[in-house]
Amino acid sequence: MYKLFLCIRYLTRKGIVIFPVLAVWLCVMMLIIVNSIMTGFVNRVRSAGHGLVGDVVVSSISPAGFPDYQQLQKRIDALPQVRASSPVIVALGLLNLPDYEYTKLVVVLGIDPKSQSKVTNFDHGLYWQYKAPLHAVEDIGDQGYPVRQSQLVKRAVAFLNVAEKNEKRLRDGLAMEPIPSSAWFAAIRRHWQVVRREDWQAALHKLDRAQRDLAFITGLPKNGFYKNRAALIKALVPAEPSFTPPPEAAASYASAADEPSNGCIVGVDLGLYEKNRFGQYNRPPGIRFTPAILTVSPITLRATVAQPQAGRFQIVDDSRTRVFTADSRQIYVPFKVLQKLTFMQQQDLLSGGVQPARCSELQIRVKNDASAAAVNQARDAIARVVSAFVHQHPEAQIAGLQTQTWVQEQAQYIKAVDNERNMILFLLGLVSLVVVVVIFLIFYMLVRDKTRDIGIIKAIGGGEWGVASIFLLYGLLISAAGAAPGVLCGVLFVLHDNWIHDHILWRWFGISIWNRKVYIFSHIPDQVTASAVVIMVISAMAAGLLGALLPAIKAARQDPVEALRYE
Amino acid sequence: MQSLLEITDVHKTYRIGPAVVPVLTGANLSVAEGEFVAITGASGSGKSTLLHIAGALDRADTGTVSFKGQALNRMSSGQRHVMRNRSFGFVFQLYHLLPELNVLENVMLPAMVAAPTWMALVRARPRKRQALALLEEFGLVERLHHRPGQLSGGERQRVAIARALINEPAVLLADEPTGNLDPKTGQTILDVLLRLHKDKGQTIILVTHDAQIAALADRTVRLLDGRVQVASQG
Ligand SMILES: Nc1ncnc2c1ncn2[C@@H]1O[C@H](COP(=O)(O)OP(=O)(O)OP(=O)(O)O)[C@@H](O)[C@H]1O
Ligand SMILES: [Mg+2]
Repeated sequence: MYKLFLCIRYLTRKGIVIFPVLAVWLCVMMLIIVNSIMTGFVNRVRSAGHGLVGDVVVSSISPAGFPDYQQLQKRIDALPQVRASSPVIVALGLLNLPDYEYTKLVVVLGIDPKSQSKVTNFDHGLYWQYKAPLHAVEDIGDQGYPVRQSQLVKRAVAFLNVAEKNEKRLRDGLAMEPIPSSAWFAAIRRHWQVVRREDWQAALHKLDRAQRDLAFITGLPKNGFYKNRAALIKALVPAEPSFTPPPEAAASYASAADEPSNGCIVGVDLGLYEKNRFGQYNRPPGIRFTPAILTVSPITLRATVAQPQAGRFQIVDDSRTRVFTADSRQIYVPFKVLQKLTFMQQQDLLSGGVQPARCSELQIRVKNDASAAAVNQARDAIARVVSAFVHQHPEAQIAGLQTQTWVQEQAQYIKAVDNERNMILFLLGLVSLVVVVVIFLIFYMLVRDKTRDIGIIKAIGGGEWGVASIFLLYGLLISAAGAAPGVLCGVLFVLHDNWIHDHILWRWFGISIWNRKVYIFSHIPDQVTASAVVIMVISAMAAGLLGALLPAIKAARQDPVEALRYE
Repeated sequence: MQSLLEITDVHKTYRIGPAVVPVLTGANLSVAEGEFVAITGASGSGKSTLLHIAGALDRADTGTVSFKGQALNRMSSGQRHVMRNRSFGFVFQLYHLLPELNVLENVMLPAMVAAPTWMALVRARPRKRQALALLEEFGLVERLHHRPGQLSGGERQRVAIARALINEPAVLLADEPTGNLDPKTGQTILDVLLRLHKDKGQTIILVTHDAQIAALADRTVRLLDGRVQVASQG
């Protein structure tokens, strides 16, 4: 008891303890912020990766694909774990847009838009065909939890209210001259009324969008209840994606003869668009329905490259999967069209037989795909079907079929981000060892400074352990005193990080760290996990104990007679 | 008279590198219950050393120190802490109060050390009453919440005596308690000690090099060449 009492007295009456308290405070805050943002980022990357290829992928190692995929697909679809599957052809090609003097090496995916949308989130990323109000759902966590229509309405109304309240100011502001960035202090003086020109534009854009969102959401079934984000988005997407150009596309062509018969969908980051600070793409007005020439090189069964094949297309949409490697080089064309261009369709042989149709991979969505265990279990079941299939089809064996979960398929991509987070946490953890050193130094000084007090405490009967525990407890208290405000500040910061970023850093100082031009996600992650906070607090306590340990031992060993001589 | 504290043939030697400093070379001292003994001697004669050994704050190299028949020198360090806390009260020349605690807290500290954690709350009130009574007796009620730095030397020493007495020790050990005070203030401290001795029969061992102060005691012993010489009988 006297130990705690002494600690509290030392804590409240010794000015120097402010330094270790501050050190713990800042480190806890820093680690919570970094961990939350990085974890949120990793989760988003994972969820984007998950949406890219479905849950399980059966793919051929050979670039020429594998035969009789319809048969395999039928067997896989018959599995109880499987919800849907979709065949995909992957080829390399050159995309040329004659009107834009643009040519780029691309990965061409041949897909059936209907079945593909049942397996992946392909349809969610389409710009012109996707009618869902992204604003209302964007900040719903990727983890997935029940969302009601009424919740969505509330969210949309709240957003709209804010936007409408600011509308006049925004319109007034837009008419004003932009403020030179050098005069940022003038901006501070005029406080919130002052924003940059692009902020006004963006805000007005949001307002416009919020109005559309609300109209859309209120049109949803009243008692709609969505298990997760994907289910919600599914409900929000009424139209089936399609490659067929709509009738108005015909206006872009001088004569019917010019009209390409096929549509294609381009990745949003192919470099056709500019992207602004808010992550919005600036699409050139004529880009939709512009003609495109796609050249692919078919690969034969003997792995030689055949004569390149060209096809005429028309851009009907663009796709955003939020996986940069995909969006920056993929383009999508109808499955059957690419099958022909790559010679993978069913062919009659001169010798009389039939060469079966081929595809590169089967993408599969399983039931209960939020659970990693369920996905792995389904993968194993699918792998058994595949190996049985390969036994009956020697040609498929030559193609080399592999069955992977989405995590395995994208291991490199996901692991890279995961490692990055761990690396940063590790480095910051190392930096946080400074806390231990700070506490050690301060305590070392404190023990020297308190030598006489230690002698006194021993003279009145406080034992070695008593003296040691005073300092250990003191270390713990200092950590607690730093960890509590550290957690508070860290959590508050994370919960409001987007606001802090947009309203303080950018408006006042013109700093944009989370540049939406570069990042694929428009919001900074702002969720804190309780377990991470608990771990941080425990680590802070451990650091306090560790820092205090040696000085405490030194204090315990102090000879009281010597200590009392000390003046 | 029955002896409360018995020091027999105590040796203590300090070594500083190759140099050997023999301080106590067979010191003997017997203190009876209720006795007021003064220890005198030249500076460096080992008075403080003897007092520390008597109060279980220091260990003798050889020899025995027995308190109520128990050998202090054979006790574990844990037991010695308890002895220091319950049975001995130290008063030092330089007061040795904790600067972060106020007067009341300084006085109560040994009582807090004595109480196990779970008893702390139960015992808090009587303990505080006792501390207040002592401070009242020493004329310090007005200074309860002052810190040692705000007190005069005489006041500090009275606080230190109150602290030494809070656990009602069998022996009060005072090491030149007036050494840092002017004669007048010193006299008030001595008055306090004498009153304790006369009224409550407190056993006191007082170290001093002032013959006048030593004369106040029942008995004075003198340390010379590491041994105790009986100087006078009061
Ligand atoms: N830790 C130590 N190392 C070496 N010598 C020591 C140590 N402590 C005490 N001494 C020596 O022991 C001797 C006795 O010291 P002590 O403090 O007991 O003397 P004292 O009689 O109390 O003197 P004073 O009247 O000046 O207080 C001194 O000569 C001192 O130098
Ligand atoms: Mg001395």
